[in-house]
Amino acid sequence: MATVVSPVAPPQPATNQSQMDPLPPSVFTLPQTAQLEALYTIIRSKETSRGDFLFYSDRIIRLLVEEGLNHLPVVKKVVETPTGATYEGVGFEGKICGVSILRAGEAMEAGLREVCRSVRIGKILIQRDEETALPKLFYSKFPQDIASRYVLLLDPMLATGGSAMKAVEVLIEHGVPEDRIIFINLIASPEGLRAFCTKYPQLKVITGWIDLGLNEKAYIIPGLGDFGERRYCE
Amino acid sequence: MSVEAPLQDSSGTTLKRTPIDVTFQPKKNTVLVSHGRPPWYGEDGHRISDAFVVGIAGGSGSGKTHVARQIVRALGSIPSVVILSQDSFYKHHTPEELALAHASAFDFDHPDSIDMPLFAACLADLKACQQSNIPVYSFTTHQRLEEPKYLYGAAIIIAEGIMALQDPGLRELYDLKLFVQCDSDLMLARRLKRDVAERGRSVDGILEQYLRYVKPAYDNFVLPSQRHADVIVPGSNNTVAIDLICTHIRGKLQERSTHFRQKMAVPHLYASPAIPECKVQDLNLTILPQTRQLQGIFTILRSKATTSQDFIFFVDRLSTLLMEFALQFLPYAPNTVITPMEVAFTGKVLSAKYVCGVSILRSGGALERGFRRVLNDVPVGSLLVQSNTSDAEPLMLHVMLPVCVRKRHMAEETWVFLLDAQIGTAAAAFMAIRILLDHGVKPEHIIFVTFLVARGGGISVLRRAFPGVTIVTAGVDDIMQEGWIEGSQGQGKPQGRQVWAMLPGLGQIGQSPSVAFRKTYGNYAPRGPLLPVDIRQNAWISRS
Repeated sequence: MATVVSPVAPPQPATNQSQMDPLPPSVFTLPQTAQLEALYTIIRSKETSRGDFLFYSDRIIRLLVEEGLNHLPVVKKVVETPTGATYEGVGFEGKICGVSILRAGEAMEAGLREVCRSVRIGKILIQRDEETALPKLFYSKFPQDIASRYVLLLDPMLATGGSAMKAVEVLIEHGVPEDRIIFINLIASPEGLRAFCTKYPQLKVITGWIDLGLNEKAYIIPGLGDFGERRYCE
Repeated sequence: MSVEAPLQDSSGTTLKRTPIDVTFQPKKNTVLVSHGRPPWYGEDGHRISDAFVVGIAGGSGSGKTHVARQIVRALGSIPSVVILSQDSFYKHHTPEELALAHASAFDFDHPDSIDMPLFAACLADLKACQQSNIPVYSFTTHQRLEEPKYLYGAAIIIAEGIMALQDPGLRELYDLKLFVQCDSDLMLARRLKRDVAERGRSVDGILEQYLRYVKPAYDNFVLPSQRHADVIVPGSNNTVAIDLICTHIRGKLQERSTHFRQKMAVPHLYASPAIPECKVQDLNLTILPQTRQLQGIFTILRSKATTSQDFIFFVDRLSTLLMEFALQFLPYAPNTVITPMEVAFTGKVLSAKYVCGVSILRSGGALERGFRRVLNDVPVGSLLVQSNTSDAEPLMLHVMLPVCVRKRHMAEETWVFLLDAQIGTAAAAFMAIRILLDHGVKPEHIIFVTFLVARGGGISVLRRAFPGVTIVTAGVDDIMQEGWIEGSQGQGKPQGRQVWAMLPGLGQIGQSPSVAFRKTYGNYAPRGPLLPVDIRQNAWISRS
């Protein structure tokens, strides 16, 4: 008797594709509403206090995590409601695990925990090797059964994509299939995104905003500076 | 089987609920509520009648306040009443006038000492069922205080003062004009006693003031104004007069109330029997994109088997999603900032002058945590609207609104998020929106946020009445069904209670101090055929 009502979604503003058109098929952005734009304007401004930076970046992270979770599979599920009616809904399927790329990625763990209580979390520390100038794995710690989980890879900024690609490499070595990884970031550069998606076309990327590009020091422009520095130190 | 929440006046002081006739001691300038205010508007959303205004004049010490209180007491279970005193409207004094006042040499009994235009404006606002911020006058400092007193929601207004019938502008507003007639000796005796006891004045000073100002003012202004009165009430032994007046007022109120009572609560029962099928597209609802996660959350919330811990968590998660989504309906303006990379970025900034939340108690509280999570620095008010258990008529029991809504000039520039868990019969939503509009909030500045809307419920009436209001919902249910809850009703004998449930629905959402929880249906049994009819059901009705 009861049916899932499939209402018409309100018209969404076009996503910000001005920096990258068309987007690679594996890249998803948040609906680019004026409100999201206002959130980004606050965290980008160098005048913003640390308290505001925490509050507003947390809000964006929560939206990104919610969007990321939408790419997990669901199964049909029928439940009985308190009024005695039956409802044909869906149930969540599959176990998940968050993996943060230290140290800025750690800032996104709380946002993940808020929507997924008791979620398992692994960590990866990747830094640039001063001799080879290539990203090098320094430390990693994962739940034992990570190979059987969907992995939400957390790093706020996708600049050159070097450390993210290294992190994916490590995850694949641990037996996680590429198509079971979802990479979540706040801001991405078109260069980094292109390189990342070319190397891992099966891997879904959720990004909040695609910026202009990189400067000569490989920082994202206009960006928001050093996320970890602003979050933990300033 | 009545509402257990304590009643409060507008200043937040808890009034004793029962028995009304014993403890009902009205103070001046306070809205008194005895059993909640029924709808004062029709199903088109427009106000049906003005508040009933009584003007009471008479000499100082003649017993005006006493008569006013007698009327309130004799009316018994009145919806809501305010006694407005002329004393509040003494003009703002200059330093010279202040010096005179402190030397007991200022004429407070001349009509010119009263700010008549302000008095009339405040009374007109209250009569038109709008809020009013009336001045507060301090007799100790002989000065008007900075912070006015907020009044809203009276169905009966009693304005009293020696000059209450003096001003033609005021006289026009009264529905009933009374003059309290009293012997001069008696008035002087009462005045002496009161001023010595309550205001700590000397007998000599009082007598001098009486001869210099009070008596001439009475003879010149007060006494002549009795020709404007409809009824002249004796200042003592006036039980019969009060009785007659109250009968008249009750009759007038009855005339006004018969128009709307049940029509609003159950609009469809009174509409034409052939109601066209209401389509979701016609309701102009803004619905949260139905993502996999949202469907999963709804499945958990709807399931009877979900534990209360899970229910709380997912209500909270859904409310945050909903609020983030609803925030896009605020106005934004372009804004350029410099990033730490020393590059300019042109984005947006919130351009609403004031933003606030108002939650409809108690189920609206379930959305409050999500609201706080996205807007942590805005005021949140509350409205308590309950359905009358006998005829399901909505009653306004308590209004606690943020300052930016209370002050009319601010309300016009305020954006309000109205929070309620469900729109079933829409009776509470209807009343809440009407309250905000009464305060001067623009309909297009109201964003109603809710988890679930019943398509076959009162939403279509709500939409017709207030097309400008934005309604944001996480989901839409099909129908409402008449049901019956069996069980004991507190102290009373065991009996059933009629409810209207949304189908498939998610049960009743209640709210304890910090968390949302679900009220289960007890022995719920569907009854009769499914009707596209509605009655407000998601009100919190305490059965313990």
